Amino acid sequence: MNRLLSSCVYCWSWMTTLGISLVAGLLLFYLLSQGLPTIGRELFFGDAPIWAGIFGQVRIWDALWPACVGTLFLVLLAALMAVPLGIASGIYLACFASKPFKRILSLLVELLAGTPSIVMGLFGFALILFLRNTFLPDANTSLFLAASCLALLILPYLIFTTQAALESLSYEYRLIGPSLGFSQLQTVFHILVPAAGRSILGGVILSVGRAAEDTAVIMLTGVIANAGLPQGLFGKFEALPFRIFYLAAEYQTPAELDSAYGTALVLLSLTGMLYGGAFTLHKTLAWRWNQNG
Amino acid sequence: MRQRLFQKLFFTFFLLACFTVPAVSGELDRFSTLQGEIDIAGGTAHIPVMKDAAKIIMTSYPQINITVAGGGSGVGVQKVGEGLVDIGNAGRPVSEKEREKYSKLRSFPFAIDGVAPVVNPANPISGLTSVQIQDVFSGKINNWKYVGGDDVRIHIYSRDEASGTRSVFWKKCLNRGVIVESANIVASNGAMKVAVSQDRYALGYMSIGHLDNTVKAIKLNGVAPTQDNAINGSYPVVRKLFMNTNGAPKPLVQAFIDYVLSSEGAGNISGHGYIPLR
Amino acid sequence: MNPQNSNDKRYPNQGLLNRPLNWTSKDWETLLQSATIFSALIVLALFGFLVYFTLPLFADGQFSELFSVHWRPFHGEFGLLSMIVGTLVLAISALLIAYPVGLGICLFVHGLGPSWLARPVLLLIHGMTGVPTVVYGFVAVFLLVPLLRDNFSYGSGFSLLAASLTLSVLILPTVVLLINSQLQQVIPTLRVTAVALGISRVQELTRISLPAASYGLLAAAILGFGRAVGDTLIALMIAGNAAQIPESAFDSIRTLTAHIALVVATDSQSTIYHSLFACGLILFLTTASVNLLLHQIKRRACREINDE
Repeated sequence: MNRLLSSCVYCWSWMTTLGISLVAGLLLFYLLSQGLPTIGRELFFGDAPIWAGIFGQVRIWDALWPACVGTLFLVLLAALMAVPLGIASGIYLACFASKPFKRILSLLVELLAGTPSIVMGLFGFALILFLRNTFLPDANTSLFLAASCLALLILPYLIFTTQAALESLSYEYRLIGPSLGFSQLQTVFHILVPAAGRSILGGVILSVGRAAEDTAVIMLTGVIANAGLPQGLFGKFEALPFRIFYLAAEYQTPAELDSAYGTALVLLSLTGMLYGGAFTLHKTLAWRWNQNG
Repeated sequence: MRQRLFQKLFFTFFLLACFTVPAVSGELDRFSTLQGEIDIAGGTAHIPVMKDAAKIIMTSYPQINITVAGGGSGVGVQKVGEGLVDIGNAGRPVSEKEREKYSKLRSFPFAIDGVAPVVNPANPISGLTSVQIQDVFSGKINNWKYVGGDDVRIHIYSRDEASGTRSVFWKKCLNRGVIVESANIVASNGAMKVAVSQDRYALGYMSIGHLDNTVKAIKLNGVAPTQDNAINGSYPVVRKLFMNTNGAPKPLVQAFIDYVLSSEGAGNISGHGYIPLR
Repeated sequence: MNPQNSNDKRYPNQGLLNRPLNWTSKDWETLLQSATIFSALIVLALFGFLVYFTLPLFADGQFSELFSVHWRPFHGEFGLLSMIVGTLVLAISALLIAYPVGLGICLFVHGLGPSWLARPVLLLIHGMTGVPTVVYGFVAVFLLVPLLRDNFSYGSGFSLLAASLTLSVLILPTVVLLINSQLQQVIPTLRVTAVALGISRVQELTRISLPAASYGLLAAAILGFGRAVGDTLIALMIAGNAAQIPESAFDSIRTLTAHIALVVATDSQSTIYHSLFACGLILFLTTASVNLLLHQIKRRACREINDE
């Protein structure tokens, strides 16, 4: 009996691993086989000339470029808002906060991390309606609003990764500063932060990847299907993940469906690269430390 | 001397170019002095017409930017009433309640559209009576075999509450009957077309203007949902398509509305299978 | 120009901290502190917003109606119960699929599979965290949904089953990586003992290592559930969005998240609008309690480790 159970467990572990590899392989194969043939000039620019299209002299229709630019601006803007705040908070939590204070603050940040992204979007959307009725009658859903909401979404990731990067430094390392007579602040900025730099950077890239893929937040805060290149901070915009969502539900021609596969492949490669980069930065750090320690 | 001649020639060409380009399509003239943004949202039946008009206008006048979003008629009316967009499309008249809330709304009807029951092209059914459709949507009938089809469950597709297409279909075809809660909900006419085209046993309803060969519009009480039948009144489930603005539209928005209502706009409208109101 | 400046040039590393005018250590600490407090207060602002916009429902006495079954806004019925049930059923069923699978993969990595495969498998799981949700949804719409539709005569394919299968793939990495990190901590100390006792690898894992990693097992379940509740796109794209309480796995369902995305209400006076915030509040409270629970478990686990 016991033996039977053992072999069941054994089989199960093999089956699940094999199964998930198959699922992942199938996903990749399907996207590559359907998406690769569509990758090309037309996918990105439609029938617009490339250079005029890139610089926005010609409006691009039914193609990917405006969504690429939209996602780029969105992610950069969100990172610009969240990164300084997130890293500062992470440093404070790791190096300065007193114990009870740290407990409360970390708990609140954890709650923020758990908040579903659609709730964040709803928050942004309601904020705009609220502002319209009170101080800013011209406020509207826009690139800026979407980026702000995305910033809230990735902020906890930045805080956690920064904090973890600093806290994982060895105890000996933390003693270098005090032993040289550095103040706590000098220790942090001249020894600990540079030492944890790669990991922190990894966290930043990870959160950028997270921002690039999220759809629910931007759905309520200003993304639309046909906006063209972003017309400024307070205009509507397109984005890659939303385009995939939109085309999956309402492609009008087989060509549009094909371009949806292409879009999915492009987004997958983008996030894949970002996550891969973040992972490598973390890994090399861990490796370097093991060598030194 | 030669340089002068060159300049003159250039100037003439320039003038010529200035006058000839707009002259090619007179209806677009009205945009020549205008610039800025128009945000459009709401009814999804309107999207093909709006998108085409936007495309034509923006190709000639790149200084104008027009964005087109969906959401449904209810969303269109609300958004324009709240001032979030410039034009809020609706596939139904503004309701009493909405009128009360947003008293400044102005409606510009521009086309007649029908709402047709649709099935997958592989489905042998070619027509249903309105009673049959009511029974299906209320859940009394749930198998195609009871209405002359295969012995398979009927997959009902419906729209969300913001949809004007839904409200028209509900009033004029379902006779304000129940729509069963197990119906799958899709968010736009475009999405309805995709869903029905992929599902062999689907039954849904959508704007006539969105029909193409990936779905099959079926006869209602023996009357085919075509443009002709909608014009002569024999097909009952028809509605007007409206553009709504909050108060008097600003010049650019007025120009856009005028363009859609112009003869060139009418060509665009009928090209998409709607009947222009002229 | 100014001696202090040339000083800075000679000791570039001190530039930031020892400028004239000057920010003392204390000031910098205050700056960091206020950044942290600001970050932490966001979540309270969010919560306040949700409550504030849900309040009118209390005032109208409509709050209890939110927990009725029917969502028929035209008839003045704003029941969210179907969506609440839909959310819970979907999240739990996704977890029920992902959890055993995740456990199996962890056992594979920690001894039941060949050791040279452990790293590639973990790498694969790490890689899966990088796949955008919308891509999973997209592939499921065109692969999984037609498969279910054609092979089962019941339902359109847009169903609880399709959504929970896809969602389980989404939360799988969360489950695997959490259990794995716990096993990595306990196994090195236990394996030698187990080998010395001469028990089999399966027995070692199921009887000794997994019980020792109980914190990770529990945390993985809770966190996986939290992620499943919070996801919007998969439910929106493939669950069918029918506002009903499902009776079978092939029924179409609507989750709270999809409901918020689907019912775009911009009329800030209407009951629909406020009911969306009720959805948001329910979601927020669910994920918040998940996180609080996790926090408690983590603290207890830390204390136990310290006690030992």
